[in-house]
Amino acid sequence: MPLVQIKNLSVALPPGSDRALAVEDVNLDIGRNQIVCIVGESGSGKSLTAHAVMRLLPRGVAATGGSILFEGADLLKETPEAMRRRRGRDIAMIFQDPMAALNPVVAVGRQVAEQIRAHRAISESQALKQAADMLGQMGLKDVGSLLKAYPHQLSGGQRQRVMIAMALSLSPKLLIADEPTTALDVTTQAQILKLIKRIQTEREMSVLLITHDFGVVTDMADHVAVMRHGKVVESGATKAVLGSPSHSYTRALIAAVPKGESHLEPPPPSAPLVKVEGLTKRFRRGGLFFRTSTVTALDDIALTLRRGETLGIVGESGSGKSTLARCVIRLLDPDAGQVLLDGQDIAQAKEKTLRPLRRRIQMVFQDPFSSLNPRQTIGDILTAGPRAHGEDAREARARAADMLALVGLSGETMKRFPHEFSGGQRQRIGLARALMLKPDVLIADEPVSALDVTVQAQVLKLLDDVRRQMNLAMLFITHDMRVAAEICHRVMVMRHGRVVESGPTREIFANPASDYTKALLAAIPGRQAL
Amino acid sequence: MTAFARRFFSRPTALFGFAAFAAIVVIALAAPLVFAAGPFTIVGMPLLPPGSPGLPAGSDVLGRNMMVGLAFGARISLLVGVTSTLGAIGLGVLFGAVAGYYGGVVDDLLMRVTEFFQIIPTFVLLMVLVAFLEPSLASAVIGIALISWPQVARVVRGEFLSLREREFVQAARVSGLSDRSIIFGQILPNALTPIVVISSMMVGNAILTESALSFLGLGDPNLLSWGNMIGGSRSAMWVAWWTTVLPGLCIMVTVLALNLIGDGLNDALNPRRRR
Repeated sequence: MPLVQIKNLSVALPPGSDRALAVEDVNLDIGRNQIVCIVGESGSGKSLTAHAVMRLLPRGVAATGGSILFEGADLLKETPEAMRRRRGRDIAMIFQDPMAALNPVVAVGRQVAEQIRAHRAISESQALKQAADMLGQMGLKDVGSLLKAYPHQLSGGQRQRVMIAMALSLSPKLLIADEPTTALDVTTQAQILKLIKRIQTEREMSVLLITHDFGVVTDMADHVAVMRHGKVVESGATKAVLGSPSHSYTRALIAAVPKGESHLEPPPPSAPLVKVEGLTKRFRRGGLFFRTSTVTALDDIALTLRRGETLGIVGESGSGKSTLARCVIRLLDPDAGQVLLDGQDIAQAKEKTLRPLRRRIQMVFQDPFSSLNPRQTIGDILTAGPRAHGEDAREARARAADMLALVGLSGETMKRFPHEFSGGQRQRIGLARALMLKPDVLIADEPVSALDVTVQAQVLKLLDDVRRQMNLAMLFITHDMRVAAEICHRVMVMRHGRVVESGPTREIFANPASDYTKALLAAIPGRQAL
Repeated sequence: MTAFARRFFSRPTALFGFAAFAAIVVIALAAPLVFAAGPFTIVGMPLLPPGSPGLPAGSDVLGRNMMVGLAFGARISLLVGVTSTLGAIGLGVLFGAVAGYYGGVVDDLLMRVTEFFQIIPTFVLLMVLVAFLEPSLASAVIGIALISWPQVARVVRGEFLSLREREFVQAARVSGLSDRSIIFGQILPNALTPIVVISSMMVGNAILTESALSFLGLGDPNLLSWGNMIGGSRSAMWVAWWTTVLPGLCIMVTVLALNLIGDGLNDALNPRRRR
């Protein structure tokens, strides 16, 4: 008998939602000693299915039908007290954002110990000893000082390891991992996935892994269920599903995963439009009286960018890639170096001289939810820039309608507010806003990292089309090598504020020169299989 | 807008607050039409109890109609409450927005000024100000605005500190918008919720402060307000309770109504706080 049997599970959304049932008639078995993946896009109900097993559904959302049998006992019928005892002991869960899941004002060691003591009658010092042992098993080094550290002092990967230690401290039979690596860098993601796999094998436990990434599925799952609009559209052994997907949606999902291969031909050589030299940026911490520490975020960076060309800046968080973009577009003031736009240095230009030039470099931002002013209509958002540069309001509105058509949205959009659109549509609006100013250079800062894979593919294609049509020079910031391969002619790999290596995308992928680039490439999930 | 109204009026306390406040506004507006003679006319014997013929609220120590006094008092209380709050909001938004948007040295400087106003006993400052400017309606309004803007500045600064990091603000800078249009056109509309909420509470506070000033005889001597009705009748408090209790009740109901409106707005404007 499988460890968990989800039978005909239905979960209802509160009245007035876009659909009545978040999860509809879902059947899924989680066998002993295996990893089961639920894969789907946002809103597919994958996360709510997992939360239903834990009986931790958000307020207003409730399981209305079916059963979840855990070793034969129906979890949906358990009393709250019995369920509380099960959580942690029988079923444990780790989340996407370990920073939000850890208590920021309690030392890490005590948090792990507290979890153990909630279920076992042992002393604080015994619990701390067990906590130290668990953290050691998670591959964390220097456990002694780690126990006394607070969550903000740890890296994202360390925090997720602490979360896993906490989840496993009572040897649960089932570990639910809800997008455990989505907030992490690629290399850290690879390490965490490897850790989950190792622990699962060692302890012969079951894991339910929620993900949107088919790459992760290929690396991890024994069994996979594909969810869409609250229903399981296809499930089966991973090899079988990947080898011959029967449902068209599964095929679309697999096809949308970037393959990490470059097909783009570099544009004909021309004079560089943007030339960056010796760009350096330091951040100082401290206030009026204390100037304590300095962090060098950019160290002597040089790059060139031509018309019609896309240069990818690849690196993990903290590599300085976003700082570089913000210095080039002068949202930040660099400490040293030049940013030559058509030969004119804008690195140290005063705001007054800069303002008329701003039009020429535009940006598409990362977060589709904070990059559009929630209080303005799309029409106002698109025309604010042109009007600031003295364009007639009526003319600007006419152009805005054309621009929306170019990015694949109707003119109707103009009267509506940002919250009425999905993430992918918002990124299109953000792109239209940038294009309204007829820029020469477009900086795209992780424009697809918050989007689902299928939407990601569409937005990448749109960016590439626009780049070609308008002969733009594009600077594309990403942490994802696969995405860089799709769209960039050249890539520049950054680490700790320095350039590790740079060159044509195809060469870098075929013959990476540095160990760091090799590690980045090796960390791509599902690289061998897909 | 209708969804917002439905959320607001769905709470009985907010509905009560709104109804009470609306009634007071109507009374204040209608006072000179209904009582053409004005509040200072002597109409009969002093200290007649409520319910005496023609005097539903009794008469005060000088034999003036209390009812007329209360209606005219509402005009002064509301006028002072609203205008001083508008002044405080204007000043506070300007300080808070500039400090929050620019940060750094500008922020340090403006916040030290704000703190200067926060650390001195405000009512003492107010009394000195009003006495210095000579007691009048204008001096009360200016004084109350001057002591109440720092809390607005603090709230607005906090909102700006977090909003300026949003990507839409960066997008506006990249588009070449001027600082002024970013501050007032882009960020301020997103910070309106807390400003609206605290301003309804501030009107209530300003009414209380004005009453206290008038009670101490620092109000405008030519105008009748609830506060100076209480102040003027305190010697008769033990023989004619209505002379002090009725204006006191008026102040209480008005301030309570404004606080209930504030709470209601806070819940209606922050959908996440809904219970």
